[in-house]
Amino acid sequence: MLKCNINGVDLEVPEGTKLIEAFLKAEQKIAHYCWHPGLSVAGVCRLCMCEIEGNPRLQIACNTEVQEGMVASNQSEKVKETVRWGMDFHLINHPLDCPICDQAGECGLQEQYMEYGQYTPSMAHAKVKKRKVVSLGSKVVLDSERCILCSRCVRFTDEVTKTHELGIFNRGDKSEIGTFHDKPLENKYAVNTVDICPVGALTSKEFRFKQRVWYLKDEKTVCPGCSTGCSVKVYHNQEGLFRVKPEYDAEVNEHWMCDEGRGVFDWVNRQNRQSYSVNAENMEKPSSSELKLILTAQQTVEEYESLFEYLKSSNKKVEVYYWKNNPDKFDDFDNLLIRGDKNPNTKGLLETAVKHDITLNPFSGFDGFESFEGDIWFILPENKAVYPLYEQYVEKALKLENNLTIFAVPKVKVDKTKKNISILPLKTYFEKDGHFLNFNGLKRQLKPGPLQVSSALALNEWVSFVKSDDFGDQVDLLSKRKSEGFRKKNEMTQTGGGL
Amino acid sequence: MSKAIESKLLTEYYDDPHYMSFEGYTKRKGYEVLKKAFKMKPEEIVAEVKASGLRGRGGAGFPTGVKWGFLPKNDKKRFLLCNADEGEPGTFKDRMMMEKAPHQLIEGMIISAYAVNAHKSYIYIRGEYTDCLRIVKEAIDEAYAKGLLGKNILGSGFDHDMDVYSGAGAYICGEETGMISSLEGLKGQPKLKPPFPAIQGYLKFPTIVNNVETLAAVIPIIEKGADFYKSLGTEKSTGTKLFSVSGDVVQPGNYEVELGTPLMDLIELCGGLKPGRSLKAVIPGGSSAPVLTADECVDATMDYENLSAKGSMLGSGAVIVIDDSHSMVDLLTVIMHFYHHESCGQCTPCREGTGWLEKLVKGILKGSGRVEDLDLILRVANNMKGRTICALSDAAALPALSFVEKFRLEFEQHIRTQSPVRERETTSHA
Amino acid sequence: MAFILKDEDKNFVLEELKRYESKYSAIIPSLFRIQKKEGWISAEAVSVLSEVMGLPEAHINEVLQFYTMFNKEPVGKLHVQVCTNVSCAMNGGRELAKKICQKYQVKEGAVSQDGMITVTRVECLGACDKAPMMQVNDKYWEDLTQESAIQILEDLKQKVVG
Repeated sequence: MLKCNINGVDLEVPEGTKLIEAFLKAEQKIAHYCWHPGLSVAGVCRLCMCEIEGNPRLQIACNTEVQEGMVASNQSEKVKETVRWGMDFHLINHPLDCPICDQAGECGLQEQYMEYGQYTPSMAHAKVKKRKVVSLGSKVVLDSERCILCSRCVRFTDEVTKTHELGIFNRGDKSEIGTFHDKPLENKYAVNTVDICPVGALTSKEFRFKQRVWYLKDEKTVCPGCSTGCSVKVYHNQEGLFRVKPEYDAEVNEHWMCDEGRGVFDWVNRQNRQSYSVNAENMEKPSSSELKLILTAQQTVEEYESLFEYLKSSNKKVEVYYWKNNPDKFDDFDNLLIRGDKNPNTKGLLETAVKHDITLNPFSGFDGFESFEGDIWFILPENKAVYPLYEQYVEKALKLENNLTIFAVPKVKVDKTKKNISILPLKTYFEKDGHFLNFNGLKRQLKPGPLQVSSALALNEWVSFVKSDDFGDQVDLLSKRKSEGFRKKNEMTQTGGGL
Repeated sequence: MSKAIESKLLTEYYDDPHYMSFEGYTKRKGYEVLKKAFKMKPEEIVAEVKASGLRGRGGAGFPTGVKWGFLPKNDKKRFLLCNADEGEPGTFKDRMMMEKAPHQLIEGMIISAYAVNAHKSYIYIRGEYTDCLRIVKEAIDEAYAKGLLGKNILGSGFDHDMDVYSGAGAYICGEETGMISSLEGLKGQPKLKPPFPAIQGYLKFPTIVNNVETLAAVIPIIEKGADFYKSLGTEKSTGTKLFSVSGDVVQPGNYEVELGTPLMDLIELCGGLKPGRSLKAVIPGGSSAPVLTADECVDATMDYENLSAKGSMLGSGAVIVIDDSHSMVDLLTVIMHFYHHESCGQCTPCREGTGWLEKLVKGILKGSGRVEDLDLILRVANNMKGRTICALSDAAALPALSFVEKFRLEFEQHIRTQSPVRERETTSHA
Repeated sequence: MAFILKDEDKNFVLEELKRYESKYSAIIPSLFRIQKKEGWISAEAVSVLSEVMGLPEAHINEVLQFYTMFNKEPVGKLHVQVCTNVSCAMNGGRELAKKICQKYQVKEGAVSQDGMITVTRVECLGACDKAPMMQVNDKYWEDLTQESAIQILEDLKQKVVG
């Protein structure tokens, strides 16, 4: 460990630490654009200037390694003036289009201008014109005029994905980022470039113009898209969920996530959900002493625990079927983050099953079920997109004559007159407490965010309901809580945003 | 005032048209010093060069022996690169050296490579110099044929391979790390320092980059000794230097004189100013060097210390003489256009600042300038100085500062006579 | 017209790939080779090079766009590059460039109607003692006057036509 002093704050940092990291660790503000902890040092924005005792020249903190006893500061007027001018150089050719820029509200230029701006502009000449609204494939849009050429995105495709699609072409103030001949940027991690773009140069096609970011809140949780279990932030407001971004996690995904994982917000949204229960009262009726249960590896460990405990304690004859999607691809891995097992909790399911001595029979459709007359519980996977046989199996299930209970996140279309079928809405990963075990057994803790479907319960909550004595009353209550319709659109975006 | 005379240490035989061939060169004692060098230990050569006080002739003027001393003291692979990307406006000495004496460069490089224990060297020649590229490549091939390159050169046990590499049009590749990037097949963008090239240069190997003239100067230093070399020039600016004189003199050209030669003598050596003209200004070290007024020229001597004391620099030795027929506003516009055109675009202050400076100065030239713009030029330039990875930003800022500061009256007069009086709004920010 | 890399040029590229310590170093020489044959470097050429060299297109394009000697658009048979930097500007380089443009009725950077001439203003070419000067394709022409320059171009034109 090295001792150093940053703006008068004494601290210790490990060897090899860059000075800018020491500033951040000491909770000292330091302007920067090009430096990113997950990428190599570019040292081009020239904003993280600081004074180091014993060195007459200002140094950039991102390319300076902390030395034992180093005393550094960015508080002097000399540094502040330099940073203000550095900001100005970034802005003289940057368009003033914040009102129509999707980055507004989370823009590095806006944020750092508040702190380091000159406030009295001296640029009076025409700005450099560059290309706007350049489509870089299905996911990303480029606005070259907004780009401050920090090169983060280029370094990302060079160093992280090693796909090398992006470059900075031309030179001087004619430099522009882009792909070769506007070829699409379609690698599986492309939207990370949008995340790390400090300005509105790269924006996400999926998210842009959907919401102003200041109307969004975020919750940290875990991506349920595959068995990697990346730490993510989900952005939402009362209208629903809008996007997912990676959250730094040294053990799992560091700074990144895959583009596929960014889609995991959509199935949580109310319009895609089973939002009310159907024939819930069925659960109360004394039913058969035989039960077949079909499940996937998409529930939490807590849910399996409670479910298996219940199954063990009931005096029913139970058979549990484990529905695996694409088992032959479970071990696929792209050497970055994406795993072939598109379930967040395969390990958790298997371990919990062993713990409770539950045998998991492979599920391959209802073909063997014809002679079975007992009850069936069918726990549908919430990420149905990764289950190719989903529609087929659900259709089959709905034709069964058995007393069938479907636990579902996605909408299930059922003929309500079919009294043998009950449907119970499930909570998603975003709404429940609990944890997954990822591919190597690491605990991935979920944090419950705001409930999107008020009648939904987690599987363990349904189980405790079923067990409880006053189940009937509770179900009544639940049924009454159904379908409150869509909430009003945000007033500001509805009425104030006529650009 | 002493009369300047040429002191032809490097250019002694440049008038001999055969000097460019292997035979012509060896007739003039060519490759004899190499034999002497091989009898010395590499560290002795480094010590001799250090003692000679030789400073880099490309522009920065860094002591060559000291630079060599930065290499790690081990046997690991390293490279010697010759910087022949002569691009500093006003400079044309390396071109002449390569055209007239390619073997001199090769000999200087082999000695230097032996001194720093480099087994591979490249001569990075700017792409426009197609003649130099051809001549030097042919000379290298000849040297291979004569056993002066390749394995076990002259029985010394020292192996060395040499190749040329063509630039493709970028001033910034004259900056040593820009050149390294270019040689690596990248855009010629300078690299962050630290690490310095001597520690981590070409493809991350320790690398020494020296200018053509610097490498050639190693020959007389080894031939005649550091003491002899030091006896030329001034105490701190030792030896001779080629000056490329252009602009308003009767006989522009390359002149090799001792460092410390009075500037006015050098001008006289070039036949003086054109008839009927008076001196207005001199850019003493390439277009990035701050301009000197006629008054400052009077006691200026062509050495590192004197020019730096005058707030300018010796640079590459490109002396641009400006007489009273030229407008300083016009010339600054030309210079600002150049740096704007050549900024590599990496560092924000340079990328944006060079363009801004050009717009400001051009505005003044074209008649849309305001007197306040002069102060703005100074502020912009001052904030580009010392803020970037390489010195191009400074190179753009220094002429802007010196022109406007030293010829402010002329700029103001130009604005008053050319610019219609009108208010101009600044655009709001960003 | 689709770009085809001839065998001899392909072999050149493959040799250059072996010549330097890094494969990337072969990009500049390979681009020069293509330019010598085609007069300029098209996007198709970049794609073909990328495939032959096994290097990303974006990277080759970065190099292509960075250096001014590479023609990113077709140029005339005589590419007239007139230096307009300080020493040449002081000696009529800018007026020379203008004069040549006028004479051949061509805008700077464009190709004359007969496909013969492109005039570009360039930065210092290291011939400041012989200002003004121009480079026509590879060759330097120094100590010019407007008249001598036009004469030189006329002669060169004749040679190209002949």
